[in-house]
Amino acid sequence: MKVIEVSRRKFLQGSIALSIYASSSLAKLPQITTKTNMQKAKDIPYLCNMCRNKCAGFARVEGESVTKLNPNKYFPKSRNMLCPKGNAGINALYDKDRLKYPLIRIGKRGDGKYRRVTWDEAYEYIKNSLIKILDKQKDNRSTIAYCNGEGFNKDEYIKFFGDKLGSSNFLDEGSICLNTKLGATMLTIGDIGEPDIAGSDFIIISGANRFESLITPDSIDLLQNEQKLIVLDPRCTVTALKADEYIPINVGTDLAFCLAMTYIAIKDELYNKEFVQKYFKDFDKYKEHILKSEYTAQWAESKTHIPAHKIERITKDFFGSKRPLYYLGRRSVWVENDFQFRRAMVLINALAGSINRKGGIIFGQPIKLPQEEVNAPMYANAQARFDLDGIVYGSSKGGSWLNFREKLLTNSSPYPIKTMFIRKHNLMQNMPNITKTKKMLEIMDLVVVIDTLPSDTALMADVILPECTYLEREDMVVSFNRLEPSLAMRNQVIKPLYESRSMQNILKGLGKKLTKPLFEISKKHDEDLQDSIKELGEKKAFTEGGYDLSELYKNDISIRNRQLIEKSFGKEVYKSLKEKGVWYPNMDKYHREIFNNSYEYYPKDKRYYTIKRKFKVNCYLKKLSDNGFDAMPTWREEYNFVVPKDKFRMITGRYISDTQTASTNNIMLRELMQTNHIWINNQIAKRLGIKLGDEVEVSSSIGKVKILAYPTNKIAPSVVWFAHGYGVNSDELTNAFGNGASDNMILEDKFEKIYGCATMHHTDVTIRRI
Amino acid sequence: MANYGMAFDYKLCINCRACEVACKEENGIELGARKHRLWINKENEPTGDFWNLDRTKSRFMQMQCQECEEAPCLKACPNQAIYRDSNGIVRLYNDKCDLSLDCVKACPYDARYVDTRKKITDKCIFCADTRLARGETTTACQITCPAKLRIFGDLDNPNSEISKILKERKYFQLKPEKGTRPKLFYLE
Repeated sequence: MKVIEVSRRKFLQGSIALSIYASSSLAKLPQITTKTNMQKAKDIPYLCNMCRNKCAGFARVEGESVTKLNPNKYFPKSRNMLCPKGNAGINALYDKDRLKYPLIRIGKRGDGKYRRVTWDEAYEYIKNSLIKILDKQKDNRSTIAYCNGEGFNKDEYIKFFGDKLGSSNFLDEGSICLNTKLGATMLTIGDIGEPDIAGSDFIIISGANRFESLITPDSIDLLQNEQKLIVLDPRCTVTALKADEYIPINVGTDLAFCLAMTYIAIKDELYNKEFVQKYFKDFDKYKEHILKSEYTAQWAESKTHIPAHKIERITKDFFGSKRPLYYLGRRSVWVENDFQFRRAMVLINALAGSINRKGGIIFGQPIKLPQEEVNAPMYANAQARFDLDGIVYGSSKGGSWLNFREKLLTNSSPYPIKTMFIRKHNLMQNMPNITKTKKMLEIMDLVVVIDTLPSDTALMADVILPECTYLEREDMVVSFNRLEPSLAMRNQVIKPLYESRSMQNILKGLGKKLTKPLFEISKKHDEDLQDSIKELGEKKAFTEGGYDLSELYKNDISIRNRQLIEKSFGKEVYKSLKEKGVWYPNMDKYHREIFNNSYEYYPKDKRYYTIKRKFKVNCYLKKLSDNGFDAMPTWREEYNFVVPKDKFRMITGRYISDTQTASTNNIMLRELMQTNHIWINNQIAKRLGIKLGDEVEVSSSIGKVKILAYPTNKIAPSVVWFAHGYGVNSDELTNAFGNGASDNMILEDKFEKIYGCATMHHTDVTIRRI
Repeated sequence: MANYGMAFDYKLCINCRACEVACKEENGIELGARKHRLWINKENEPTGDFWNLDRTKSRFMQMQCQECEEAPCLKACPNQAIYRDSNGIVRLYNDKCDLSLDCVKACPYDARYVDTRKKITDKCIFCADTRLARGETTTACQITCPAKLRIFGDLDNPNSEISKILKERKYFQLKPEKGTRPKLFYLE
């Protein structure tokens, strides 16, 4: 074998860590790929779930096994491709560490000692705990908090715990993800919109790493269309590397760049006057504010480190191009000014007239899916959520994780939260300051985790319910996109492995178990229900009140899908969803190959670039000033990028091969990226005596981690970066455990007050070679 | 009967390596960074200091067997284990391979590796015994590529997409000085 190692020269020239450190650990990996065979196989359309995109594919099933995942050419959103993660979905299905059976904790929380139980035993345990908790809380259903990361079944999950069971405390990933962007767009132009990358001829991207954090169709459209691309980032990512122009920038100062663009556009009258006159509200106020504040290019240079002449040139080119787009991004919230920054970007697009038109932020026309009705009981004693107290807007759906956690830890919630149902949400790794999350879970009387893998969070559970993966279940049909809208359906590829179940089946079983005993508690404490029983009799009060928790799932999901689609769209549409996984109007006519497996989905004149709609561009948000915040995008001195001497600003992001912590145990993806490394500027590293592969200790005010170093000229001198998703603590995850460092061990927990979102790029750290 | 080749619109590559995973899953390739039929070379990292990076020479190059018309591996094998199939693809009689590794040493492109399960030297064969054998017309790497930068087809058919694009666009081949006449083309 020696000969081979010498002759494989490509590994010697490889620059990043993989090839250098891989050798020892890779030897341990078992053989897990299987060659596809010549026999007849089924090709079943499915929707990927390796990340938030939901790209479409066909699963090759040989006998009972999935042997290959191939892209689906019919889906406008994913454009006939699967990324490395999508291809590695097989290894998520066949991950040997999967949760296989229901488990009940027998050791201490977090020590991983569980006993295998039947589904009924697990439900029974949950029932007995809930009876005690709810009785004690006098049927305040909101004492049960429940959370779910992104995904198709989130709404189904909310229907169960929110509508049926009656809790108001739902939390999701929005407040550790992109709520500021959604809110800023909504409040400024009345819609969250959709960027039309393919139609644009000039795009500015601030920080969003579209070639390493793929979003479909945005990333694909960037690759397959020609437009001038300018990327601003404190780190030279692959997106920056491939851009026409890369503009290095100080962390968290993109708002200053936007304000200077706005200043130049207004002062030099580069903006689209017709559009502004027609759609803007309070433009005069904005104009006066921007000009008076003197957000000149020179001013912005002092904040951003971008030369003034570049800011001027880019602004002129942007407003001078036919269809410019300032891409709003979609990633975690960076710093305190995030909402203002996102809003400034929306306003720049509006100043250029790039709203509701080709190449801009389009409103489009999504296909409307009918909703099933839910008969939701009214619980008189269920109290309102409290995690948006002190937040100006906030998402009334998914709340604010950090505010929620803080209120529990400081005992300042108006009522106790004693139970958490956690699904597809790795709390122990997904938000800054893991120590606090652990404390929050420790004060619970009951923690139930529904997931596919024994994550760090699963090991904090009292009861673990194994869910099947996306390849083992059908999900409700989903409507996708606005410019080239379509319906798509995740078909079941194979039956659930082991004793795992789909979420609907898990909740159906739980609902059956809980319905009667929880109704008894309501009878005891809920005066409205008592009145209703007096009036209608118990049976009628129960039925008409909607207290049967499992009635949502009376019909199997395949029946619900068929009924819903056939009724509203007809049999042919359902057939298309079953056979091709996708449907959109005139698909047979419109769908055609252009070249080399690239397709056109809608002819250009049939895309919804512009729709008839009345809308306003809101420059001034009074609610913000009423609450002591800036009503218009404004720079404040505390936004200045300042890092103390000998410290570094820690920023985070991810590799193309990873989706947060959900994919870190995937053996195929570990092959692509063994572990994470900390990027540190090469000149600084040299001064500190840090070389490639050295182990360093990174410390912040809340914790420290050990990680391998990657000195590079691709990061600013006062900044360090490492990818999220590593440093997993659960030793049940064979491929992930003990691998790299977790950013949330050292990121200080701060949240901005407009949407209650955790900011990720404000922590300063020190680095020491070990 | 065809004469298969592949062209790469290489500048579009973002090094996502979907091709590598798709190849491994389709063809049952062993895990391990050294075990692969195709890979991406990361060439010429940016130079200069952070605020003034020069990125112009940076590129990601799609690497795999170059399907040489004058294949050094074929000539080097002492056991005549390597042959050219009816589609012009350089193949291996697995049972004749005794791991002498002469082919590995002879290849100017490092395209061959040792498959420790089958005890043979393996390389890209354009999915000849999986997808093509089933009558499919695309390779695993090609169909999954987000940039659709891999163009695969019959070089002898003037109407194939690859023939057309090679007529339209300028291209280069790797190590022309070796006289191997590769059937893989990198589009400028």
